[in-house]
Parts: sequence; C-alpha cells; structure tokens
Amino acid sequence: MPVAIGEMPLRIERTVSFKLNGQPVTVRCPPAYTLLEVLREQLHVTGPKEDCAKGECGACTVIKDGAPVCSCLVLISQAEGSEIITSEGLVKDGRLNPVQNAFLDEGAVQCGHCIPGMIVSASALLMRNPNPTLDEIRTALSGNLCRCTGYSKIIAAVQEAAKNWRQ
Amino acid sequence: MLSEIDVLKPRDLDDALDMLHENPNGLKIVAGGSDIIVQLRDGVIKPSRLLNILPVKELRYVRKSGDRVQIGALATYNDIVTSRLTLDHAWPLVQAAKQIGAIQLQNTATLGGNLGNASPAGDSLPPLYALDAVVVTQSKVGKREIPIEQFFTWYRKTALKPDELIVAVHFKALAEDDRGAYMKLGLREANAISIVDVATVLRGRSSGETFDEARVALGAVAPNIRRARACEQALTHKPITREIMKNAATLAVQDAVPIDDIRGSAQYRKDVVVSLVYESLDEAIFG
Repeated sequence: MPVAIGEMPLRIERTVSFKLNGQPVTVRCPPAYTLLEVLREQLHVTGPKEDCAKGECGACTVIKDGAPVCSCLVLISQAEGSEIITSEGLVKDGRLNPVQNAFLDEGAVQCGHCIPGMIVSASALLMRNPNPTLDEIRTALSGNLCRCTGYSKIIAAVQEAAKNWRQ
Repeated sequence: MLSEIDVLKPRDLDDALDMLHENPNGLKIVAGGSDIIVQLRDGVIKPSRLLNILPVKELRYVRKSGDRVQIGALATYNDIVTSRLTLDHAWPLVQAAKQIGAIQLQNTATLGGNLGNASPAGDSLPPLYALDAVVVTQSKVGKREIPIEQFFTWYRKTALKPDELIVAVHFKALAEDDRGAYMKLGLREANAISIVDVATVLRGRSSGETFDEARVALGAVAPNIRRARACEQALTHKPITREIMKNAATLAVQDAVPIDDIRGSAQYRKDVVVSLVYESLDEAIFG
C-alpha cells in the first residue's frame, strides 16, 4: 500500500566505521540494525546466516576483535572501531584456510547452511589454541547447531585442521 | 521499527551519566546486547533511543580490593571464566558463567547486563545472592551501594533509577576454607535457559564441616531469586552430614514458588530444587 509522504516512518541513519576482513569499511545505516543485517544486506557478505536470531544457533558467528560472537546480537553501532572477520575473510590470497580445507577433505558438509559459522568458530578456537583436546573442540562448537551431519565429521575436520594449523 | 531507533554512544562514564541525566525516561541501556536485541526484535520493548555503554571501557574489570572481589558492569562472562581471581575467590559465579549460553554469548554478555535484565532465570544472580553481593549504581548525583536482595524488587523490576547506571558488583572474596557451588538444570546441557538453578555458599568454617553462615539461593522458581532461609538455618553451627544436607535440601522447597511454564511444571521444579540443593551441597563440601 502506498504511504503518503507525511506518514513516512522516521528513518535514523548513522555512520559506522570498522575493519571487515582486513579492509576498512564505512557504512551509513540505522544504528540499531544488527551487525548481521548490515553485513548481509548492505555489504553483501553472506557467509554469516540468520537462523534463530537469538544467539542459540551460531549460524551468524563472526570473529569480533579476536573473539567469536553472534553477529545477530551485536548492534552495528557496537561494531564501531572493531575488527570483524567472517568466513570470507579466512581465505588468504584465494587459498582456503586449514579449517576450510579440512571440512572439504573430511566431507564435513551436508546442506552447508551452518558451515560458515562452524568454520569461524573452529578457526577462532585454533587461533587461540592450536592444540585443542576433543573436549575443547566440542565446547568451542557447542554454540553452533547442525541439523544434518551429526557433528562427528565436523569434529574430525577440526582435529585434522589442528594438525595443519600447527605446521 | 529498528530503523527508527537512535543509539547514543558515550565517550566515557561521565558522558554516559550526562546522557542519562538529560534523558531521564527516554533511554534504554544496552551493554552486551544479548537480551535487549532479542527483546527489540520481538517488540517486547519499544524504546526510541538506546544508550550503548560498551564504549565505557573503564567499567570492564575483575579485581580484588582488600578482601572484596570487585567486578565492573561490563565484565563479560568470558572475563569471569578466564580470571584467576574469580576462580580462586568466586568459583560458584565462574561455574554459572561457564554455563550461560555458548562461547559466542560468553564473549559479549556482561554481568551488568544480566543484573539490569533482571530475569528470574538470570544465571549469574543466584551466585551473587549466595555471595551476598552489593550492586553499585551511579548517577550524576553520586553512587549508591545496594544489597543485591534489595536491588531486585519483583519480576524484571529493580531499584535502578532512570538516571542511574549499574557500574559494579562487589562481594567478600571466598577464602580457602569457604565452600560453594552452583548447579543448573536446563532442557539440555549447552545453551539452555535454566529450569532451576541453585547457588550455595558456606562461610566461617570451624572444626570439621561446621559453618557460621550459609546462603542458598534459588533461581527460576519465583518472580525473582529467592534465598532458602529454613534450609540455610539447618546448615549452620553444626557439623554438616549427609543426613543434614538431605534435611536442608527438603526444607529449601519452602521458599520456592514456581509456576508451570514451557520448560517444566511447578511440581517438577519443586522436586528439582530438592535434588539440586542436595547436589550443590555435596559438590561444595565433598567436591
């Protein structure tokens, strides 16, 4: 239904600057939008996905200032001055990182929807702990839900990735 | 509409307090955002403006001053889990922080946010009751020190005034001879909202397992956190045996007034209270 000009809802916009996958970016958008919305809709970085929008499924996981967080639960204005890494940013010079390669080698991917979040969480783990125990891997991935794989191959892929990460 | 909401960004604490002073009723405070963003999207709250206090970095700390542990409002659960200080002097709080959501949430959610959100199922709250914490609030007028039991007034209601910010929590550090534990039952082990959670702290140990002071706090069984007074009395001034623990756990039900909801019936919650209080005492005393 057309809206008369006088009834147009107010739209507030602010400028936010941060680093995305190593590159400085500046966006102009409503400051209460989530980081996830802006990444996907405005910056067209679609690795992070929206599933639960409540911080339970981990499909939207990104690394913010070195720590994995749910980008659905970060306001874009809270990303000001931060460093954000998505699954896209883990690729260096066109080469997949060890976690991405291991997911392919181990056949850890079925429908693929949860995989960017899984890969970001696993990479964040290996960045701070390149020699994780099975328990540490399970804990690090406990906030990432997968409905296809049964997790076994995902865990195996992270164990495999850890070997290559250390080399 | 999220696009109609402005977000104010203070430079520091003074700036944040100025903003609250100038907008006494119009600002909703956001710390980590993990509760508020869901409420915004679900339309549960409809503020016109948010005050994002994450830039107030001076509120992010875990430290000890004299015999008291002091935790800034912006300390994240991950800060609490990874701090040697809380591990040594506030382990029931660490046990709770470890079980709040997954790592992604522990990296953003803050202790001050859990206090401000005032959910009866807020997992950091029973340990803070059991540790006899004091909540520090601040406005332009000054600071207030509010005992935690007076800070929470009713279901999702607190004593925080519109121009105030929660700035810190402090409590007497647990000593080596003190005992304490936190136990939670959710619908599954990871990332689950509590059906019931229990924190126990025993202080002032004399010979054997005899304590001067017991605090047992129950979560998710009332409009806000409840202390189990009769249970506490049954635990003090005599050597604690398994028989006494069993009796005390049974008494804890007196202070639980749970409701039926999607996560469990009232009767189930009462049964769980008895089990969890017993188990937390067992963990606290016998490890």
